[in-house]
Amino acid sequence: MATSTLDNRTSYKYKLGTNRLGLWLFLLSDAFFFAGLLISRFYLMGFTRPHLDQTLGLIVTSVLLISSFYMNRAETAMAHGDQKTFLRGTLITLVLGVIFLVGVVGVEWQLAPFGPGDGAHGALFYMMTGMHAFHVLTGVIFLVIVYRNGRKELYTAEKHWGVEACATYWHFIDVVWIFYYPALYLIGTVVG
Amino acid sequence: MDEKKKVNFLKLGLVRGIIFQVVGSIVGMGIVMLIRLLMGLPAWNAEPVWVGGTFVGVITFLIGVGAFSDWFKWAKGEKTSDHHEADPSLPGWAKYYSISLDHKVIGIQYGVTSILTLGLAGTFAMIFRTELAASKLQYIDLGTFNSLIGLHGIVMIAAILLGIGAMSNYLVPLMIGASDMAFPRLNAFAYWINVPGALLVVSSLFLGGFDTGWTAYPPLSARAPLGMQMFFLGVYVIGLSSILGSLNIIVTTIRMRAPGMNYFRMPIFVWAAVATSIIGLTATQFIALSFQMVMFQRLLGMGFFDPTNGGNVVLFQHLFWFYSHPAVYVFILPGLGMISELLPVFARKPLFGYKWIALSSMAIALVGFFVWAHHMFTAGMEEYLRVPFMYSTMLVAVPTGVKFFSWVGTLWRGKISFPTPMLFTLGAVSIFLLGGLTGPPNATVATDLHLHDTYWIVGHFHATMFGGFIFPFFAALYYWFPKMTGRMYNEKLGKWHFWLMYPAFYVQSLGQMRIGLLGMRRRIADYDPALNFDFSHLLITIAGFVIFASVVIFLVNVWMSVKRGEKAGTNPWNSRSPEWQLPTPIPEHNYADHPFEVVGEPYDYGLEGSTYIKMSAASKASAAD
Amino acid sequence: MKHFFRVAVLVAILTVLIGFGLDNSGYMPALASVQGAAIDALFRKHIWVISFLFSLISGFMLYSFVAFRRKPGEEGDGDHFEGHTGLEIAWTILPLGIVLYFAFLGAAALAETRRADPNAHKVTVVGSQWSWRFDYEDYGFSSTELRLPIDQQSLLTMTSTDVIHSFWVPEFRLKQDALPGEGMERELRITPTVIGDYKLRCAELCGLEHAYMVSDVIVMEVSDFEKWVAEQTEGPSDDPIERGELWYEQYGCQACHSIDGSDRIGPTWAGIFGTEELLTDGTTIVVDREYLIESIVDPQAAIVEGFETIVMPPTGDSMTEEQIHDIVDFIESLAE
Ligand code: HEA
Ligand code: HEA
Ligand code: HEC
Ligand code: CUA
Ligand SMILES: [Cu+2]
Repeated sequence: MATSTLDNRTSYKYKLGTNRLGLWLFLLSDAFFFAGLLISRFYLMGFTRPHLDQTLGLIVTSVLLISSFYMNRAETAMAHGDQKTFLRGTLITLVLGVIFLVGVVGVEWQLAPFGPGDGAHGALFYMMTGMHAFHVLTGVIFLVIVYRNGRKELYTAEKHWGVEACATYWHFIDVVWIFYYPALYLIGTVVG
Repeated sequence: MDEKKKVNFLKLGLVRGIIFQVVGSIVGMGIVMLIRLLMGLPAWNAEPVWVGGTFVGVITFLIGVGAFSDWFKWAKGEKTSDHHEADPSLPGWAKYYSISLDHKVIGIQYGVTSILTLGLAGTFAMIFRTELAASKLQYIDLGTFNSLIGLHGIVMIAAILLGIGAMSNYLVPLMIGASDMAFPRLNAFAYWINVPGALLVVSSLFLGGFDTGWTAYPPLSARAPLGMQMFFLGVYVIGLSSILGSLNIIVTTIRMRAPGMNYFRMPIFVWAAVATSIIGLTATQFIALSFQMVMFQRLLGMGFFDPTNGGNVVLFQHLFWFYSHPAVYVFILPGLGMISELLPVFARKPLFGYKWIALSSMAIALVGFFVWAHHMFTAGMEEYLRVPFMYSTMLVAVPTGVKFFSWVGTLWRGKISFPTPMLFTLGAVSIFLLGGLTGPPNATVATDLHLHDTYWIVGHFHATMFGGFIFPFFAALYYWFPKMTGRMYNEKLGKWHFWLMYPAFYVQSLGQMRIGLLGMRRRIADYDPALNFDFSHLLITIAGFVIFASVVIFLVNVWMSVKRGEKAGTNPWNSRSPEWQLPTPIPEHNYADHPFEVVGEPYDYGLEGSTYIKMSAASKASAAD
Repeated sequence: MKHFFRVAVLVAILTVLIGFGLDNSGYMPALASVQGAAIDALFRKHIWVISFLFSLISGFMLYSFVAFRRKPGEEGDGDHFEGHTGLEIAWTILPLGIVLYFAFLGAAALAETRRADPNAHKVTVVGSQWSWRFDYEDYGFSSTELRLPIDQQSLLTMTSTDVIHSFWVPEFRLKQDALPGEGMERELRITPTVIGDYKLRCAELCGLEHAYMVSDVIVMEVSDFEKWVAEQTEGPSDDPIERGELWYEQYGCQACHSIDGSDRIGPTWAGIFGTEELLTDGTTIVVDREYLIESIVDPQAAIVEGFETIVMPPTGDSMTEEQIHDIVDFIESLAE
């Protein structure tokens, strides 16, 4: 913005703080949506759960958790100006994200012995994984953008808000899954 | 505006957006049909095709307006300039029809849209009120009636949300001494997304309507005509605007205050705006979720609320009211903030108990999260929830009471004058008092068993919404009119507006409450003549028309005064608030050339020699104190 | 101090005027149930508190408008005082006490409305778009009007076959939604106190004809009630056509289907038997027994041209096969 006596307001650092606050508030808001779905899940299904492939669930969960690790590495690398590790980390995260998507939407949805129209468990399973997958998809798109801009060397150790935002978002998606995975795969007795 | 510059209409964001939306919807429909064919389904099935198509239309609208342009550039790693106006070749008025990043322009865009939607919803009310003026069906059929009341409700609510957007966007940065909002692009986006959203909601009228009222309870809403989906989608989109707008207000308030402006020195309206935004930011997700679940139940047969398919109809009501109760405090908190803002100016006294009023807004917002189930006392929800929710609901009366008593304290021993904005402020206090006091009888469960879903409730919420929003909104419009336009409104017409609207409102609301107690149900197109409600209904209808007429007077006033009103000084009300110390019209970057420092309390009227803000010497010259 | 004294008088006068005015305005319909008495007593307390608080704040404001208005030519500002913590605390604590007390009263009144009589006699209330049916299961018959014996508690169990409806008789004061779904039955206890005819009006928007979803409620002397029960339990007539007409009324078909050829939401039954009808899928069909039974059991199977937008509820699910045959006989009898 224009000049004022508040010179520090226009500094990158101050804006970074503002951006961070904005992002965190957005995630807080989004968390309410996911929480609402989680509550609905317990309201309708109580301590029962849908019949799902446990191995697959474990695999996709691990994939997502590992991806978060690489995301973190990428971000730290950027903060130290290590362009190469950053790019590699981003790319691995991206690939793992895609694997997760394929695992859930491409495989689990096909394997599941029920469809979205089959009772509360069907509806909830597809809505919860669907909304989560939608967020993973936006995260993947975000990663593609960051990767591409990273290749163009647009980020520096001092200025890489784009990378940081992407990483924070990615971790958020991961945390959501940490709640969703037990809610769908582990808690309660199997029905449907 | 006399300069007859030739305008290329296709350059106006609004026009482009709508063209894009229409084309986008059609293309979107095509895509959905194509996908259906590929999946081996028959191409045409009205519901998925319309929903998919119009959803694409919303996105293309935003592309057409240009809401994404800068973000696309960022994604490509390009820099963007801090421009405010879309296209400098367009004449001045055109900026209001195109994307602009200036929070003042966005505020006015919100305001005008709010008044348009208010007019539309009011017109719907006049149509169904005419039907209700006498028993039996005269002018419209049952289906149309049901759609009209639902649309009246939801479009009014949209008008309120837009009006709040207007007030907080225009005022918050000005009041805290910021040059703009924290995220100007997000701000523009949050405004523009309302336009396709509102179009969708209204389009439901032409797609079979919907017969559920604004609350859209399943399973009825799961069987309603196609219009229901347009209602859901439209509200969904408008909700997104609320979320993003709220986020912006909170960040702006936390990060952009002028030096010395600590939290307890902000003009009180800012507190109200922040309390509102906390609700808007979080709870709104729940109405989005509940509506999304019904939409998917209709599209894919998902059984969330279908009792024959594992669902539970009460769950919807919990999700819906978890937003929609806090939302009613969204409707009023900015209005109550407005009352607190204006009373000191016209009573020439400090705001009584600033901190208490500020914190009571927060208290109302927070307690408001824990009372939702009071809408469900008769709904057959879990029995054990009724009593706890009664207690929590009753608690809201306490912080609200603090506001009322403090307002009285503000007036006491003042030097009160009564120009139009003050009349509307006082009218707001009186009417909101009526609305608020009729709340506790609904909250004590036993009495609600009689009151629920009657016109008593209708009376209750019209009083709260008129007192908490409509009157303060008009007060604000009159009050800031000179700052926004540089001209004074016509005082005589303003007084007419008030003296028609205020008594008519009492007739309408008390009339509704009376017949409600006597047995008038909500949402019925026809009532039993044996109940003898005809005369009361006639009075309510007449009162409604008087309110309608008074708003027409307001519009005439605005129209005439913008063009020919007396020129207003920079600070006609002799207010201490920072925005009044700026020259009129307010410079594009607000305080960029008029930086100030806060040195005193905001409302020290009557204290000799006190100052609130100290503008730097250079800027003093241009702004009269 | 003189200001406060004058305001106090003003507030007192206003309170008395408004309070007595309201109290004597007959704001409630006649009371006709034990449970309603608890509600009315509580509501009356509310009215007085509302009258007082409204007068209190309006009184102070009105007085200020007169006493503290800016007189012509007057300059300057009002007194400078910024607040008073003691006052603020006082007007936080006092209302808090009042609301807690009222919440307590509310809970007590709620308990009063739910006090159970183990001998209450049971009626199941079934709401369907857009009619009510009352199953007197203890006696084994159903009725389209709700008859209740005076001064005895009736336990009403609400349920719905389609969407949410709501049971409300203003004179009884009580209201309870009827929810669709298994395990969603909800109860209401009513002890009527005044003999007479009332109306049950559906209080939850339930679609097109919600306004007209009304049934008769008749409170009668116990002996009359017993006589009525005896008449009903004699069992329906031997004539299937007469029985069919009874089901037609009891199961709510008459809400949508006329038997005199007039227009309602669904197709009329007059003279349809044996005719050819156009369906939405373009085919025609002869209206015979088989088709009629299918239409009742599975309404979505074949939809009559012109009725695409309205869904017929699956009421047939709750009828026995015999009842359905009776209805079909009845429709057949309307052929001429
Ligand atoms: C602008 C919006 C607004 C506001 C501010 C309120 C405020 C309140 N509302 Fe209202 N309400 C609505 C809008 C609003 N409401 C709407 C739209 C509906 C219907 C929705 C629908 O079904 O379509 C509704 C419905 C509604 C119901 C459900 C009724 C039903 O359908 O059965 C209930 C029940 O508890 C209720 C209670 C309250 C209470 C206790 C307050 C309190 O916050 C009021 C507090 C204020 C005061 C009490 C006055 C001032 C206080 C004092 C002077 C202090 C001293 C007071 C005491 C000691 C009592 N409201
Ligand atoms: C802000 C909120 C708001 C406002 C201002 C109003 C205003 C009015 N309302 Fe509204 N009402 C609701 C919110 C509101 N309502 C809600 C939420 C419901 C519940 C819906 C539901 O049950 O689902 C409801 C329901 C409702 C009912 C109950 C319907 C039913 O249950 O059967 C009734 C009946 O009398 C009614 C009447 C009126 C009337 C006569 C006005 C009048 O005051 C209107 C006066 C007219 C205007 C204020 C417009 C003036 C504008 C112009 C003159 C401009 C000209 C034109 C253009 C610029 C295009 N309303
Ligand atoms: C909510 C309104 C509604 C109710 C209640 C209702 N119906 Fe219907 N009915 C319809 C509609 C609409 C149609 C036409 C659409 C269709 O064929 O499904 C219809 C069609 C029919 C038909 C086929 C008529 C024809 O002309 O082909 C029969 C038979 C029928 N209903 C029987 C019943 C019976 C028996 C009941 C009561 C137990 C009943 N209906 C209750 C709305 C209703
Ligand atoms: Cu049934 Cu309204
Ligand atoms: Cu509420």
